[in-house]
Amino acid sequence: MMDAVIIDDEEHCVASLRRLLLPYQDSVRLVGTFATVDEAVMGIGTRQPDIVFMDVQLGESGTAFDVLNALGAVAFNLIFTTAYDQYAVQAFRFAALDYLLKPIAVGDFANAMNRVFQRNEQQQLSVRVAALLDNLSGADKPKKMGLPTADGYEFVDVSEVVHCRSDVNYTHIFTVSGQKYTVSKTLKHFEELLGGYHFFRIHHSHLINLDYVVKYVRGKGGAVVLANGVTLEVSSRRKDEFLARLKMK
Amino acid sequence: MKGLLSLVVICSIGSMEGYIQRPLDSLHADLARRDVIDTALVDLRNDYLRQRLLANPTDTILLAFANETLEIAGAIRYARGTLLAYERLGLVYQYALGDPYRALEYYQQAMQLAESEDVLASYQAGIIGNIGNIYYEQEEYGKALNYFRRVLAFQNDMELAATANIGNIYGNLQQNDSAAYYLKRAISLARETSNWVFLANGLCSLSLVYVHLGETHAAQEAIEESLALIEQHQIGFVRTTAYINAAMVYLAGHDLVHAERFASDALKMDGALNNATVQKAAWATLADVYAAQHRYKDALEAYKRYDAFQDSLTSQNRRVEINRRQLQYDFEKQKALAQAEIRRQTTIRNASLLGGGVLLVIGILGFILYKRRRDIVVQKQDAEFKALVADTELKALRAQLNPHFIFNSLNSISDYIAKSDIESAQEYLTQFAQLMRQTLENSDRKEISLAADLLFMELYLKVEAKRLSDKFSYRIDVDEAIDIDNTLVPPMLLQPLIENSIWHGMARKEGKGHIHIAFRKAGETLICSVDDDGVGRRTEDVAKASKRSFGLRLTEARLAILNKQKNVQGRLDIIDKTEGGGVFTEVRLPLQLAF
Repeated sequence: MMDAVIIDDEEHCVASLRRLLLPYQDSVRLVGTFATVDEAVMGIGTRQPDIVFMDVQLGESGTAFDVLNALGAVAFNLIFTTAYDQYAVQAFRFAALDYLLKPIAVGDFANAMNRVFQRNEQQQLSVRVAALLDNLSGADKPKKMGLPTADGYEFVDVSEVVHCRSDVNYTHIFTVSGQKYTVSKTLKHFEELLGGYHFFRIHHSHLINLDYVVKYVRGKGGAVVLANGVTLEVSSRRKDEFLARLKMK
Repeated sequence: MKGLLSLVVICSIGSMEGYIQRPLDSLHADLARRDVIDTALVDLRNDYLRQRLLANPTDTILLAFANETLEIAGAIRYARGTLLAYERLGLVYQYALGDPYRALEYYQQAMQLAESEDVLASYQAGIIGNIGNIYYEQEEYGKALNYFRRVLAFQNDMELAATANIGNIYGNLQQNDSAAYYLKRAISLARETSNWVFLANGLCSLSLVYVHLGETHAAQEAIEESLALIEQHQIGFVRTTAYINAAMVYLAGHDLVHAERFASDALKMDGALNNATVQKAAWATLADVYAAQHRYKDALEAYKRYDAFQDSLTSQNRRVEINRRQLQYDFEKQKALAQAEIRRQTTIRNASLLGGGVLLVIGILGFILYKRRRDIVVQKQDAEFKALVADTELKALRAQLNPHFIFNSLNSISDYIAKSDIESAQEYLTQFAQLMRQTLENSDRKEISLAADLLFMELYLKVEAKRLSDKFSYRIDVDEAIDIDNTLVPPMLLQPLIENSIWHGMARKEGKGHIHIAFRKAGETLICSVDDDGVGRRTEDVAKASKRSFGLRLTEARLAILNKQKNVQGRLDIIDKTEGGGVFTEVRLPLQLAF
């Protein structure tokens, strides 16, 4: 039996989650619902739950991040819930943290619960939450990206990523220090994640960090030489936009 | 027979010393004592030179002395001294160096000075006389006569020399009576003034005239007096001429011994070797003397020498011609130089004009290029601005989808609640939320992958099918040749068309309908079609264009902007099918790939 708490400042959202948890009443027990930051910190401290459903916006009391900051160590399965907050969603994806969008679809909820049951969602959770909070602490700071690998999570600075190469449903990520990570996510996932950080998809198979472009070789589409010496082809259809982005930098 | 009518040198003599000759020695001593450079020194030097020239007319070292005098006179700006120095230089060139051309130049310089200042006007006569001398020597007697007559017009102390020279000219012209008249006048003038040089000279010339007149005795008297005067006053200047004339006179008097002796002595005189006239006359006389002595071989030899000098003299005349040519040559050279300069100036001017022209052309070209470039930039900015406007318009149009769709969906949810189907309402709501989320995200993008658009379409159809309680079925076919991940489409372009099919075709239809959506590729065109078997559009709706569905107008407006923006030919066709009703709509878009 797992203990769960719901942190949300809106009653109907709590009711909705309560309803969604009904089919799991044999294995999950709801031990508390909290509406403010203080209540949440106190409640989590006393109840020691296994699962926490946490809304991002907690009214005037603050945000979920204030709760996490106050808690310090995190020793539970954390599932964020949010209605429409692109900024927060982006942050979750960077830190490889689970989230549900409200109104929560039954299917999405089932998937999230499956992840809780099948995998140890707590794995390196403290590190991931720390990365999340770190990423949110300052706009100018290099963002840390959590990469799920076979044996857990690896965190890399976005500014250290030179380029990403697509390999069917996998993506190889190359850092400036020569490290290579292979992640079972599509290149599209990383394109969406990194698009705002000087990254540009020059090719069907290549997403590059524009900060590491050292040379552009003219051609039909041309090619770029990156700081690590790798030369990558630029798709002719991406050439104009690529050069425009390069100039803008 | 050949004698000499030696001309009398006319030279202006400074101050009123007249012809009183100071001995050379005393002049020399005076010069040596002088160590101050002043006008007196110049006068002294000019006098000294004249005396030296009279004593030895062939002394070529006098040239340096004369030039030095000219320099000194010039340095102290002594006009009279300069004038006389020029005149002396002329004399040196004429007599010592036998170069009448250069002499003429100096006389002309002297003449210019004499004419420029009134105080120097008195020197004009002497210079004119000297110029006359040159013409005389060149045997241009007409010109010489004119110059000497000009001298006489001055009524001055040059009268004597001029008169003597006029006599000589007449003698040369074989007008012996006139010659005798002028020479006798000159001799009497010379006697009056005790001018021994002129007296000796006049007598010498007169003796020759007498020979020509056949008055041998008078001739002998005259030459003897002349020779005596020459010896007495050491007049070297006239000596050679006197010897030659004496030879002539003695030859005429048949005193062959004296004749030969004087002719030979004349040839032995200093400078005689340089004087063609003297040699010619001497050899002619000797030839006659030898012939009279029956020494024919010597006579022939002498005659040959004489003949040679005849040539030489001609060549001397030629020298004048050469000099004239030199003068002309110099002039031509100056002219050529001037023309070269003119040509150079012209070239510079042309080059400047050409350079200026080239610069102008470059400038104009530069301006044109600059303008063209600027126009391009302006056009680009214009195009970018227009694109921005079009983007904004498109965004607005895409955003218009939302309320249209939202309220239709809310109607559906309202339906469920009315039917108390809570579970369905909840499921519908979550799917609607998902659709809303995608719509919001898509509205922000100009183009999305066909895969993403298909996902949205499927969700939309699912939601609507559920709402209409499976009143219709649907199928989406995508040509295998299309790479849905790599194909870009404007987001939700087909949505209004599908909506039309559902709301107008299916909702009103009796029984179950079917919507078939297909994506095909034809060359570089993507053909998207929505085919339904619904009730079709009502005839009156079709007739009234203004009543055209909101969705259709939206799609057409978006296509129009996209066409304009990308300069393509996207198209929307609506076909009202007659058999079984229904509408077939087709959108043709240029195939656009992401990579």
